[in-house]
Amino acid sequence: MRMKKYMLMAAVILCAVTLKAQKPENILAAVGTPPNPKVPISWNRYHDYAAITEICKKLAAAHPNLIKLETIGKSYQGKDLWIMSISDHKVGNADQKPAMYIDGNIHSNEIQGSEFALYTAWYLVEMYAANNQTVQSLLADKTFYIVPTINPDARDSFIHKANTAHSPRTGLIPIDNDRDGVDNEDGFDDLDGDGHITMMRRKNPNGRYKVDPSDSRRMIVVGYDEKGEYEILGSEGIDNDGDGLVNEDGEGAYDPNRDWGWNWQPNYIQGGAYKYPFSIPENRAVVDFVMKHPNIAAAQSYHNNGGMILRGPGAAEDVDTYNAQDVRVYDALGKKGEELLPGYRYLVVYKDLYSVFGGELDWFYGGRGIYTFSNELWTGYAMYNKAGADNTQDQLYTFDKDLLMKDAFVDWKPYKHPQYGDIEIGGFKKTYTRLHPGFLLESDAHRNMAFSVFHAYNTPKLSIDEIEVKEIGSGLKQVTAVVSNLRMIPTHSSQDIKNNIEIPDIVSLTGGTVVAGMVVNNRDLGITTEQKLDPTNIRVENIPGNSYVTVRWLVKGGTKFTVNVNSKKGGLASKSN
Amino acid sequence: MKKKLYLTYLLFGSVTLSLFAQSPQNYSNSASLAQRIKTLTSKYPNLIKSKTLTQTLGGKDIWMLTLGGQNADQKPAIAVVGGVDGKHLLGVEMAIGFAEKLLASSNVDSVKNLLNKQTFYVFPNMSPDATEQYFAKLKYERSGNATKTDDDRDGKLNEDGFDDLDGNGKITWMRVKDATGKYKLNPDDPRSLVLADASKGENGAYILLQEGIDNDKDGQFNEDGEGGVSFNKNASFNYKNFVPGAGEYAVSEKENRALFDFLFDAFNVYAVVAFGPTNNLSSPVVFNPAGLSKRIITSWFEADAKSNALVSERYNKITKTKEAPKTQAEPGDFSQWAYFHYGRLSFSTPGWWVPKVAPDSAKKEKKFTNDDPVAAYLRWAAKEGISDTYTPWKAVSHPDFGGQTVEVGGVDPFVLNNPPYKLVDNIVAKHTDFLVSLAAMAPQIEFVNLKTEKLTDGLTRVTVQLLNTGDLSTYTKIGDRSYFLKKIAVKVNGKNGQEVVSGRKNQTIESLQGKEFKELTWLIKGNGKVTIHAGCPTTGSKSIEVTL
Repeated sequence: MRMKKYMLMAAVILCAVTLKAQKPENILAAVGTPPNPKVPISWNRYHDYAAITEICKKLAAAHPNLIKLETIGKSYQGKDLWIMSISDHKVGNADQKPAMYIDGNIHSNEIQGSEFALYTAWYLVEMYAANNQTVQSLLADKTFYIVPTINPDARDSFIHKANTAHSPRTGLIPIDNDRDGVDNEDGFDDLDGDGHITMMRRKNPNGRYKVDPSDSRRMIVVGYDEKGEYEILGSEGIDNDGDGLVNEDGEGAYDPNRDWGWNWQPNYIQGGAYKYPFSIPENRAVVDFVMKHPNIAAAQSYHNNGGMILRGPGAAEDVDTYNAQDVRVYDALGKKGEELLPGYRYLVVYKDLYSVFGGELDWFYGGRGIYTFSNELWTGYAMYNKAGADNTQDQLYTFDKDLLMKDAFVDWKPYKHPQYGDIEIGGFKKTYTRLHPGFLLESDAHRNMAFSVFHAYNTPKLSIDEIEVKEIGSGLKQVTAVVSNLRMIPTHSSQDIKNNIEIPDIVSLTGGTVVAGMVVNNRDLGITTEQKLDPTNIRVENIPGNSYVTVRWLVKGGTKFTVNVNSKKGGLASKSN
Repeated sequence: MKKKLYLTYLLFGSVTLSLFAQSPQNYSNSASLAQRIKTLTSKYPNLIKSKTLTQTLGGKDIWMLTLGGQNADQKPAIAVVGGVDGKHLLGVEMAIGFAEKLLASSNVDSVKNLLNKQTFYVFPNMSPDATEQYFAKLKYERSGNATKTDDDRDGKLNEDGFDDLDGNGKITWMRVKDATGKYKLNPDDPRSLVLADASKGENGAYILLQEGIDNDKDGQFNEDGEGGVSFNKNASFNYKNFVPGAGEYAVSEKENRALFDFLFDAFNVYAVVAFGPTNNLSSPVVFNPAGLSKRIITSWFEADAKSNALVSERYNKITKTKEAPKTQAEPGDFSQWAYFHYGRLSFSTPGWWVPKVAPDSAKKEKKFTNDDPVAAYLRWAAKEGISDTYTPWKAVSHPDFGGQTVEVGGVDPFVLNNPPYKLVDNIVAKHTDFLVSLAAMAPQIEFVNLKTEKLTDGLTRVTVQLLNTGDLSTYTKIGDRSYFLKKIAVKVNGKNGQEVVSGRKNQTIESLQGKEFKELTWLIKGNGKVTIHAGCPTTGSKSIEVTL
């Protein structure tokens, strides 16, 4: 079965390559899309781990100056966690440019995050190759670190094994969910063998459900004054371990997004937590990478679903972590996101969603001071481009009928259950309700890519605007430099400054002999703060977004001066008089 | 029962002298610890297994000893952890010493039985990078491992450590005569300094620092030296980020991860005993209902606090220790982790503290007016005839305090928390007694009051009570909702023709407190015999045969 699928996949990829034989001269480019990509990919379906690996390798081979493909570690089952470092590698050192980190699929059933991350990689390099100047200058300034899936084991389990739309959310480390001393002994059973775990229903005159008279696929609850026809028995399964419970101890069952080292709490407080922060190998690989890449100034982690642009705090207990200055930056980014992503709302996790400890975005911001969003991909708004009826049951059925040709539903069929007797099995496929239908996948991937581009574009861009040299007598020259940040995000978030997470930005002077150095607080009134230690290299706590700092040296000798700024999150800049 | 226990108390004290005549004469460095472990494993190959859980960045082994008979991992267990804080050498001695003493008595029936029924996981030293500093050329109190850290977060690593200004090979204290200083001489004993109380109009006269130079000229002294992350600050309960010694995030260090990984999978552990700075054995934790009212729990549950009280009473009786100073649990410490995050009964004691000494009127000593551990130590040391642990203050020239009087001296590192080695053996013996007696309190299950009622031919009602005969619960109250603690699984094993028609064939039951029972009942169809089986990792298994 699995072999067959891989062969199918290979055939599909082969097919895509042969399609390229359509000659460029026969094609009119649609605006905003790479007209003749070196790696053609159909963005209307989902890729398993092997296919993702293939795409990463092909992209890296086709764009060697733009993509460095590496692995950041291995999954629990030993799969490589691929990372693409995307930048114009001919210009500067990618690891010193302000960077955006993107991952997807931390929850294994939320698979489209990987497609969106891959699309972003593909789009950037193919548009660069197509000579798009916006992307070219973006990649000259910035780096994107893209990890398409940080949960490849369970991604493949979702794709290749029978599941519901909601399972597995976990990774594949075995967990004894019912605490009886045996791991994973009673999971779902794909009774009808169709690769989807749907629902079981049984005719029962005392049941509380009946078939919707206007749609035979649908079960509805009867009124208090009505008799029902059916009872619902839950998801397809058997009581495999004879303890009187069905499906109570299936695969895994921890939540990789409760595993991050910011206000981490154990599983009796925060359901889903595993042993300790980063006790899940895939997350540990991410944190090790992030710790080694202090140039990461922005991050995005793709989830599904509900059309949300989420920021922290994740837990009410962390409200004070986010202060007003940082919230202003988040708001500016998030509001733009709402414009780019119709139907998506910019929300705060703990108050608009639920209060959770140990989430990824909390560690990125709280632990490292990185401006981070989690987008909850797919919204019912996209069904009819209408707000209001988001995700209601009604719409799921009509949309399936009107636009999906009823492909999203497995029709009810009789089945002889070893414990329940004569039942019927049917319901929505695992690929519906949380995942995009094919025709909307590319469009939403594109919009989310555009939001990440906006986010990355707004990481700091430093420039030395002015070097003023003044003779001040006694053989001394006063050299004053103005260093500005041309983007919205500061070099240090206020969370960073409060906790000295990253070292200050260093503005240094070459030329002459530095006698004293200082930060200029008010240039007009001549108010400065001297730095006694190592005055050549002035340490600046922060260069705020769309703002500047002024530094000054008193120097003996020299006429030619060069000012360098070195900022971990803001990159490098240099200017000579 | 009482008498029996009393005998056990004496056991390890009395065999001490004869068996350990050749015992070590000083605290053990990592090489001699390894040697002691090797000696034990070769002498008692059937009762102890040793392995290296991990190696620190400093290249030191984190040892784990498993004391017990066959299938040790399937028996109820106590984890014994030493070296919780690297400046507490005594903790290492207590842990390895416990293993030595217990095994030395393994020919005694009670100990033999204990090792057959239960297991001790002993981790003698969780801070080997740090404890090694005691034996180093430059001796100073160190808690951090060999991870290179930027403690002052200035972008430079380990750039400003201690400096041995008087060249005596140990880092003591440095006092600078300065009007802005916060310290004054202790009127009880002017060899020591105490904080001047500005609210009482007192003037400070000294700046008090540990011996050192401001090597990086940033205005702070010794703020970023050798010594990275502390085992006892890196655990996940009440962890504080961005604090020197805590690491970049909770459980970032190999030592913590290796131990926690092992422990989380050791479902058989019902209690953890740490030899470290905190003390909930001399006086137990106090139950605080307000600490349970928030999502993040900060109080022990009442049932668990009662267990702590029971164990504490036993501890005081056995070790005869008294007047223990109150200790404060620290953010990220191990012993709180073991309760709040590992969900086990967690006990901790430093094992020794400076005994209080009444003023000697012959020497014209007066009662102390200040609560100053250094003065208390010096008085006790004088009584014990210890004279080489104090360095008289002596002026030095110091590059950072031109023109000011800088003196180096004061009490030695380590001595406030680590007794002279000759006292160690007795401390180990008493704590071995305590651990043996703790094991006697372990949860144990028994089937009692079996009743069979024949309702009609071929249909029997079986009723039985499952009793925890131990003093401690099968798992803690705090562990109620954690899947790292197992429930008691009960199975009715019937043969062909036998069928459970009421009650569950397989079921799990929640924790049983000490002396608590749970009644179980089934209707079983058929004839002959069935076996009912109950067990969980912290209690072991029991079966009972029932004739239908």
